[in-house]
Amino acid sequence: MNPPNPTAVAEAPPETPPRRPLRLPRDRHAIVDSFFRFQSLFGLVAVFLIAIAVSPVRNGENVFLSSGNLANIVRAVSEIGIIAVGMTFVILIGGIDLSVGAVLGLAAVGSATLMVNSGLGILPTVLIVLFIGTAFGATQGAIVARLGIQSFIVTLAGLQAARGIARMWSGGLGIPIAYGDGPQEAPEAFSLLSGSINGVLPVPAVLFLAIGVGALLVLRSTAFARHVYAIGGNEKAARLSGVPVRRVRITVFAISGLLAALAGIIHAGQLNQGSPNDGAGYELDAIAAVVIGGTSLAGGSGSMGGTIAGALLLGILNNILALNNIDANVQLVVKGLVIVAAAALQKLRPRIA
Amino acid sequence: MRYARRAVAILALTVLATTSACSIEKDEPGSGTDASAKCGSGKDFLIGMSQANNAEPYRQVMNDDVTNAAKDVPGFKVVVSDAAQDNSKQVADVENFLSQGIDLLIISPNEAKPLTAVVKKAYDQGIPVIVLDRKVEGDAYTAFIGGDNVAIGRAAGEYYAKTLLPQGGKVVEISGLPGSTPAAERAQGFREGIASNPKIEIVASQTAEWLREKGQSVMDAMLKAQPDIDAVYAHNDPMAEGAYLAAKAAGKESTIKFTGIDALPVPSGGIKAVEQGRLQATFQYPTGGREAIDMAKKILVDCATDVPKTTTLGTMQITKENAAEAYTTLGGKQ
Repeated sequence: MNPPNPTAVAEAPPETPPRRPLRLPRDRHAIVDSFFRFQSLFGLVAVFLIAIAVSPVRNGENVFLSSGNLANIVRAVSEIGIIAVGMTFVILIGGIDLSVGAVLGLAAVGSATLMVNSGLGILPTVLIVLFIGTAFGATQGAIVARLGIQSFIVTLAGLQAARGIARMWSGGLGIPIAYGDGPQEAPEAFSLLSGSINGVLPVPAVLFLAIGVGALLVLRSTAFARHVYAIGGNEKAARLSGVPVRRVRITVFAISGLLAALAGIIHAGQLNQGSPNDGAGYELDAIAAVVIGGTSLAGGSGSMGGTIAGALLLGILNNILALNNIDANVQLVVKGLVIVAAAALQKLRPRIA
Repeated sequence: MRYARRAVAILALTVLATTSACSIEKDEPGSGTDASAKCGSGKDFLIGMSQANNAEPYRQVMNDDVTNAAKDVPGFKVVVSDAAQDNSKQVADVENFLSQGIDLLIISPNEAKPLTAVVKKAYDQGIPVIVLDRKVEGDAYTAFIGGDNVAIGRAAGEYYAKTLLPQGGKVVEISGLPGSTPAAERAQGFREGIASNPKIEIVASQTAEWLREKGQSVMDAMLKAQPDIDAVYAHNDPMAEGAYLAAKAAGKESTIKFTGIDALPVPSGGIKAVEQGRLQATFQYPTGGREAIDMAKKILVDCATDVPKTTTLGTMQITKENAAEAYTTLGGKQ
């Protein structure tokens, strides 16, 4: 909590109660500060409203607002969103995880191979794939923590390794998933990943939002979260004050690997195929969501709510550009501008001391 | 470690809670039927063209063929989306088309299996679907239009047997990506085509993965291993051009003959290379874009209900004699 600005105090009415956390902002600085703190939320609302305004109208119905379209948006960003949740933890400690897209591909291949070729059920398949992702992430975390190599380099190597393993495991080709009870067929229930709850809410979207909220709670209220912020803020100070830096590091990368693997399972379920090239470039979309969400790549500051908002914002942007038939190349430029604008806004954030 | 366990436990619990508490239904396709009833002349039609990857020149030409052909049909408006080689993105692209209320879908799928469900969804809503170049699984689409790579390879082989090397000779093959269907079919067709001339011998076959730069390095190596090559059969034009560059660096470009496949009507394409004398011949791999719009016109404007399920397109042999003319015919801009 920042000390109150002297002029603001002078202007404030005398009966102002003492400052409490989460009270409504009373002075200009507090308003400005909370704008920047929740910039991605404001951005999300703004983009949402703009999307409604510019959406094409068909048969008197706003196409963007139609329930099918909104469901499509959240479904389309769910994999990136889940990865971005894990990525937020990593970025908060001042790291980066470039391996997530490749781990997604590895997990998609694993899901397809284990069910179709090895004849495993859904539960063992999911557990094995999630374990592989977690172990892969934890191994990267251990290398970062023990050997002190920058996570950029370790996870760049991890990206190559995961792709290579996925190609070896699949023989270089996508493994189609057919459903049924026979040999070479996956259990029918796996296809529910591409279904919707009560026909409205896509399953991947629900998983994304549930994981997002879960991670938001973790980041709000646990000692683990305080350690994550402490390491990202000042690693040396954190270590000196007794934060188990290595363990937190390993845990953070393990979470990122776990969530990338989960996204890979969802990917396989949605597309009825596990291909070793799945998820190429997804790490960059996830990083973009985190950055738009206001989390600093320097570590130590940022929020999970911002990341969720950032992922949804990217999804809405993709959708409304497509609905208005904006040229694919122009879409790329627009997305680039939005990312830079979000980062620039963070730089403008006033440091009130 | 307690906090870490708690963190993971909260994450796991939220996932379990949400998945177990709700009833999940598979998405059943809606049964709209309005699209076919809407046909007729003098109306406006929105056509969605879902492209797998604009970054490949062949697919860019396909888009151009579709949009240019549609300009000649009154009432047709085409919107193009680019999936940038990502299956998920292409599924979302088609979903967005459905939200926009397209009257017809043209799709060149990135891969068959992942796109099958969304193509079926469109088809089940009563929207005619024309699939280009790569297939989807099952038969939930209106029509497939594509080239025949075996026939193209055979045409190239027959050209070698009768015209290029009637006295026989040593041929090296530069093939496409191993495991890809076009590479296998272009290799198979070529062998069928040269079978009538037993004096033609394939002395080496190497892959350059469709890439010009790999064509160059592969040819470098083959020039050293094979001193007297008479001709190079490349599975596409860029690899043939790469091989030509390698031969030129070795001073052998005038004694070796080069042929490619694809014949794209773009400045960097094979037709220009033939016209400018680097390649002896190239064989057109048709995009099907114009044919797709012709078929869309039959379905939407003429209300045809019995278009052929599969249309296999022929190839065109391009040599110095017809290169300039073919470039214009196929829609190339000078």
